[in-house]
Amino acid sequence: MKKFANLLKKEIKELITRQLIASLILTLVLFYFIGNIARSEMGKVQGVKDIYVLDLDESDLSGEILRNLAFANFRINQVSLRDKDLAIDLVRKDSKISLLLIIPKGFASSVSSFQPKEIETYSFIRSFSMSSSINSEILNQIIVSINNYLSDNILKTKLPDLSPKIIKNPIKNRNFIVVKDRIAEGSITDVNNFVYSQSIFVPIILMMIIVFSSQMVLSAIAMEKQDKTLETLLTVPISRNHIVIAKMLASGIVGLVSAGIYMVGFRFYMGGFMGNISNAQVNEVVQKLNLRFTADSYILLGISLFLAILCALALATILGVLTEDLKSAQSASFPLVFLVLIPYFLTILSDINSLEFPLKVMVLAIPFTHPFLASQNLMFGNYVVVLYGILYMLVVFVILVFIAGRIFSTDRVLTMKLRFGKRFR
Amino acid sequence: METILKVRNLKKTYGRIYALKGIDFDVKEGEIFALIGPNGAGKTTTLRIIATLLSPDEGSVELVGYDVKKEPEKIREMISYLPEEAGAYKNLTGIEYLRFMANFYARNEREVEEFVKRGEEIADLGERLKDKVGTYSKGMVRKLLLARTLMIKPTLAILDEPTSGLDVINSLEVREIIKNFVREGVSVLLSSHNMLEIEFLSDRVAIIDNGVILETGTPQELKDKYSSRNLEEVFRRIVG
Repeated sequence: MKKFANLLKKEIKELITRQLIASLILTLVLFYFIGNIARSEMGKVQGVKDIYVLDLDESDLSGEILRNLAFANFRINQVSLRDKDLAIDLVRKDSKISLLLIIPKGFASSVSSFQPKEIETYSFIRSFSMSSSINSEILNQIIVSINNYLSDNILKTKLPDLSPKIIKNPIKNRNFIVVKDRIAEGSITDVNNFVYSQSIFVPIILMMIIVFSSQMVLSAIAMEKQDKTLETLLTVPISRNHIVIAKMLASGIVGLVSAGIYMVGFRFYMGGFMGNISNAQVNEVVQKLNLRFTADSYILLGISLFLAILCALALATILGVLTEDLKSAQSASFPLVFLVLIPYFLTILSDINSLEFPLKVMVLAIPFTHPFLASQNLMFGNYVVVLYGILYMLVVFVILVFIAGRIFSTDRVLTMKLRFGKRFR
Repeated sequence: METILKVRNLKKTYGRIYALKGIDFDVKEGEIFALIGPNGAGKTTTLRIIATLLSPDEGSVELVGYDVKKEPEKIREMISYLPEEAGAYKNLTGIEYLRFMANFYARNEREVEEFVKRGEEIADLGERLKDKVGTYSKGMVRKLLLARTLMIKPTLAILDEPTSGLDVINSLEVREIIKNFVREGVSVLLSSHNMLEIEFLSDRVAIIDNGVILETGTPQELKDKYSSRNLEEVFRRIVG
């Protein structure tokens, strides 16, 4: 055990290089920086927004529109000039305010006599930032709301016995969502968005940990070969299996820590864009449908993730033996990354169960597919499917470790090679 | 002197290539035994089999009664191998590297310190031992590796081209280190292209070519037998 600890310590020390630390810090700073910028842009959208208004009508109705704008967090900057072109010129010269609303003369009287009258909005593009496009969208939505308000008023005047809502929407629709034996009323889009926001990190974490850890173990073996230290290591009195396990464990630990740090940065980054998605109504629907992780689900998901990482490490160890140096280790990691990306995109973009049977079998044969599916299956309460996946990964892991152990205990560890560079020359 | 290493009818092939066609030799306690031969003669393959890195197709290797095929882990406790092209972990300092290797052989912490202290003396790199190996010159790395090989006082030190790639001064220092160390009871099996080195270091020599040992004896016996002034002439006459 003392010898194993000695080896593990060395493996970790070898993997934590200055370059790795520098790249982790840099990524963390970069994600934090981007997240902060995104957050401040979103803040601008949610905060008070300036708008120039040229009110040529100065009627009660135009006053109502301005009150609605103020209610929607717009700060009204009245333009005293009475000419449209001069007003546009004025806003063009102001680098801080990029919205102009012009209410034409006779607007209120036209509306009351059912003559459609146009109010004009001008968006001045000075950058392609998030806030500039969103502000313009908000303004359009306000005008739609005002339209509704006006049409409701007209309908109320003309048909006082009928509700404007019924006239405008004669068909009423109630949306129900069914999950197994549970039914709840709500929007499937809202529920999908909520579940997606809750579980988006699972596949990303998994993909990052698998890719990081695998590259670590590949690099660890490739470095031993490149730096000509492997032969010496193989002649010291320690079991070859311990050498394999120490490499896998050290890579797993360093990969896990690296991925964790990346995830912290990624959370900053995503937090900037997404903010906190929470809605009491959606929460209630999700609760009714029981689409939540229980403690059992978390344990099963954890086991599934852990086994996927072990499978990746064992496969990377075998691939590492085939490499000669760090350069060929990068090429050797491609098949593994590819095997992770297939289920990653398939689970995000489609339903694996709906695939053609041969394709479905192929995808399910990839051990990394199962943890991606596990998060969805656990939400639907399909525990048996998750357990089958765990069992399958365990079998694959045992086979891979057996192969890796066999390779390391024979002279194949020194004689097996894949000459990636030379093959393609 | 007692025989510690017995190599009998050792054969090894790589695909269709016969690297060793049946090699026999012994190494005695406290002696330096050298394998000399041209490139591809089978020297490194022989050393790698004894070092438990390769498994032989046929034949046997016994170190102090332990079989290399059946008890490789026991063999690894008694040998220390210096490959021709070897490196050390660049991210560790010289001292850390010596301590890392010592931990595999020492029975307790006191012995670890004893090995490391001896390693420091052999490497003779002074304060540079506190620097990362990545900053060392080729000669310094080779000295560190030799120190690592000898500091544990193995039953058999296996040295493949110990002065490979070193300049004259460094080579002389390394030869002195090996010579002095054998006086402390360590047996050495080495291979080299350098006949002067072999003549200076070795008690007995085996000339190997094409996977077969052609001659074995002390440098003086071989010189007498082939009426030659030095081993280089002996080698030329035998291998031709």
